[in-house]
Amino acid sequence: MSERAAESPVLRMAVLAAGLVALFLLPWLSGNEEYLMALGVSFALFAVLSSGLNLVYGYTGLLSFAQVGFFGIGAYTAALLVMDLGWSLWPATIVAGVLAAACGALIGYASLRLSRHAFAIVSLCFALLCGILARDWVSLTRGAMGMPGLPAPEFGLPGAGTWRIERPEDFYHLLMGYAVVALAIIYRVMHSRLGRAMRAIKLNEALAQSHGINPLGYKLLALMLSAVLAGMAGALFVFYLTIVDPSVFDFYYTETMLIMVIIGGPGSFWGVLASTAILAALPDVLRFTTDLRMVLYGAILVVAMLLFPGGIGGWLNRRRMARWKAATVGTVASDPQPGNPPPGSS
Amino acid sequence: MDAGFLLQLVINGLVIGVIYALIAMGLSLIFGVLEIVNFAHGEFYMLGAMAAWFLASQAGFGYWTTVAAVVIVALAIGVLLYEGLLGAVEGKGFERSILLTLGLSMILQNGAVYLFTTTPKMISNSLTYSQVVLGSFRMPTARIYALVVGLLAFTGLWLVLHRSKIGKAMRGVSQNRDAALMVGIDPRAVARVAVAVGVGLSGLAGAALAPVYAVHPLMGFAFVFKAFAIVIIGGLGNVSGAAIAALALGVIETLMGGFLPMVMVDAVAFMAMIAILLFRPMGLFGRGVRV
Repeated sequence: MSERAAESPVLRMAVLAAGLVALFLLPWLSGNEEYLMALGVSFALFAVLSSGLNLVYGYTGLLSFAQVGFFGIGAYTAALLVMDLGWSLWPATIVAGVLAAACGALIGYASLRLSRHAFAIVSLCFALLCGILARDWVSLTRGAMGMPGLPAPEFGLPGAGTWRIERPEDFYHLLMGYAVVALAIIYRVMHSRLGRAMRAIKLNEALAQSHGINPLGYKLLALMLSAVLAGMAGALFVFYLTIVDPSVFDFYYTETMLIMVIIGGPGSFWGVLASTAILAALPDVLRFTTDLRMVLYGAILVVAMLLFPGGIGGWLNRRRMARWKAATVGTVASDPQPGNPPPGSS
Repeated sequence: MDAGFLLQLVINGLVIGVIYALIAMGLSLIFGVLEIVNFAHGEFYMLGAMAAWFLASQAGFGYWTTVAAVVIVALAIGVLLYEGLLGAVEGKGFERSILLTLGLSMILQNGAVYLFTTTPKMISNSLTYSQVVLGSFRMPTARIYALVVGLLAFTGLWLVLHRSKIGKAMRGVSQNRDAALMVGIDPRAVARVAVAVGVGLSGLAGAALAPVYAVHPLMGFAFVFKAFAIVIIGGLGNVSGAAIAALALGVIETLMGGFLPMVMVDAVAFMAMIAILLFRPMGLFGRGVRV
């Protein structure tokens, strides 16, 4: 987002619309290149996961490791409903989201009354437990082998036959479409009264409370919204993979999401989206083994926490603030843009 | 119900419980003094076990020399950890310290996977197949040793915390930071010792348990979530609470493991944690920790 585009609403809408059209047309523009479609699916998935985490951590200030648990629960729920009960994927996806949100409500309600410390620990334990259950509860989940051969979902278009989703570009459209809707919801929430209340809780919980904001309610809301979106993303994503197994709970997802949010800057919607795009493409640029990539991510995390905890988004925000200050001092300038609230630096 | 079998289960449970306790106590101690949740704690347990495997199998060290060597190195690593990383973020935000230690954990764990692969390694020496037999009761010697090491470490830590000056200072800081500062306790010195002791205990647990279980780079990761649950159950920052919860969890898990499927056993710690948080959020033995 260039500075000018951010300032003019019309131009901003035009850029956004052009971007969406380009995303929609990408399969035809690129000649259906499978590799690009796979990257697109990966970006769409991580965009939902990392933006959800951004809402919970960047906005509300709750460090959550539970995202991957919600994602995996959604994946398993949808796969079981489709395979064992013969449901269609679409109602199964809804149920997956609801179940993930219920889990979010349970761990959130139990731990958030104590402290943010407790929440971080409980959310981590929850995610690890989910992985263990998926592996050991063999009668339900089929154990470590998982469930291969998930069928291609079909979407009945009214009066136009059915859309059978099986080619890479079909899944690209499905997941990218879902991601756009999910991101729009997250964006709306962030830039509404709800988002401002969440930000207030993060910045100063006691002060927010004294203004009549109920912190627990907003925290639970942020957590459950991210859980619904992650659960539904998981449900759709495993049908792209055509297999669900305990690796959907892999800590790799958690670490990648966290890195995306940290580098993009917690609390910065576009920053996190940009870092997601870069990091979703990066594994193919850095042709390391997964282990070395995780070592690198770990090193990034350590260095980031020691030197610039606000990430790129935080750094950009600081620069913008400095410019505003300079402008205010130089002339008798107008108030800063109401549409761009000041940054929540952690 | 065979009494010998039951006794065996209880002793196995105590062995596991003692090891849980060593890790959870260190975690709780570091949290109490620095208000940092050390997510890399399980990796020091793993490193301790890997080092013990190396010393025992490759360098031919005996059990006790191995344990002693690993503990000394772990204490030194603890001091380095504090000076290099934790000291820099102490008091600068809870999330920052968690993410820092998480990054460290990723480096250590994946680095170990890269260097040593995930293939489990067994220590094979004279201890491997030796058993203590008392009538119908059989127990591998390595487990007895682990139990003894754990109990010694327990006693040692209790004596340090309650009898020595530095231990009292550690408890003082974790009970009331400001008051501790006012009576002239140097928080940096106390924190350095707390991290060293915490990492030392973790390394000790790894070294003591290495001959009992297979050693591999992901072992710390699997262990640490139970340690976290224990710390919550015992009350965040409450060292003796963590010890009691750990012993109880070890015994309960093993007893259940004798009769129930593995799934239930793994879920016990988590269920107990959620129940405690719902009904007694300050932990079983704890003062409430609120931000």
